[in-house]
Amino acid sequence: MRSVNRVASLLLAAALLVGGSLSAVQALLLALDQPTPLDTTGWFAALSSTRWREPTVRAAAGAAVLLGLAILIAQLRPWTPVRLRTDERDGWYLHRRCVERRLADAVSAVPGVRRARVRVRRRGGQWRPRVRATGDPAARAEIEYAVHQELHRLTAPRPGRIDVRLQPRRRPA
Amino acid sequence: MTNAGHRLLWTIIALLLVAGGAAALAAGFGTLRGADPQAMLLSPGLLDRWRTAAPWSTLAAAVAGVLIALVGQRLLARELQRPAGSLRGTLSHPGRRPGRTRLAADVLADALVRDLTGNPGVRRARVVLTGDPPRPDVWIRVDLTADAPAAGVREHVRAAVRRFAATTDCQPAHLDVTARIEPGQP
Repeated sequence: MRSVNRVASLLLAAALLVGGSLSAVQALLLALDQPTPLDTTGWFAALSSTRWREPTVRAAAGAAVLLGLAILIAQLRPWTPVRLRTDERDGWYLHRRCVERRLADAVSAVPGVRRARVRVRRRGGQWRPRVRATGDPAARAEIEYAVHQELHRLTAPRPGRIDVRLQPRRRPA
Repeated sequence: MTNAGHRLLWTIIALLLVAGGAAALAAGFGTLRGADPQAMLLSPGLLDRWRTAAPWSTLAAAVAGVLIALVGQRLLARELQRPAGSLRGTLSHPGRRPGRTRLAADVLADALVRDLTGNPGVRRARVVLTGDPPRPDVWIRVDLTADAPAAGVREHVRAAVRRFAATTDCQPAHLDVTARIEPGQP
């Protein structure tokens, strides 16, 4: 969500800059009775002939409400924290993405396992790694061992249950 | 701009969208007092007033456009601005008389950064000191190499903070360390 916000803000800023400049130039040229870069007569005609009760207006208004509600929910729901606390005492945190990437690398190193993705959530005081990968379901124990080992290497707390879902590899037809 | 800033900006935009959309819907269904659903979006009365007020109305539109463009430019500048790499924080100490003494914490922070990066496992470090000098808040971010032993680096950071506290006589009131670890070698 953080990246989405950043990109959306960039686009909004660019739109405001371009739109504001264009409308300023347009209005200034109109005030001076000079030819304008944009022909707005069509827009004026459309807005002057459209009534509030028309389905197009209602649809646009409904879309604005829905979009606003979607953005509001996305902004107000709790976001996944960027960091994972490892210890209550010394204020040591690990960057979540780094941990997830390291765990995914560790899982991918298990023989027969490919395309591993790992998400780490915190429930209560415990970390809950969730592993999704392609490979032999029999490799589950090895995957759990690899995750434990990597977390130990990162001085992370002992995790709670490790959720492993293995998708069997499709055989070529 | 910070994440909190983005969140606030988009919450405000969302509220404006909901309020504007709901008002337009209410006007369309005739439930908004003073709004006629049969009326045009740009009513002839409004257009007449606009033409009567010309050229001031068009000049006002030009000024509004310039202001919108300025807002866009400021927002764009903030978005493209790199996070303040030189941020080191400020120590602030209340005096006996009304007022506070503020002190840039660059020198102290640089000393701790040098100590932290003395470990080969620490590729980069960033330190921010804030608060009251005898008991400052210390915020540290360390970027660790892929092969860095996390336990060893953690002990190194702890020792560096202890040395910092001893030499500057500043015992951290709050210590916050964030470690980012490079991905392992494929």
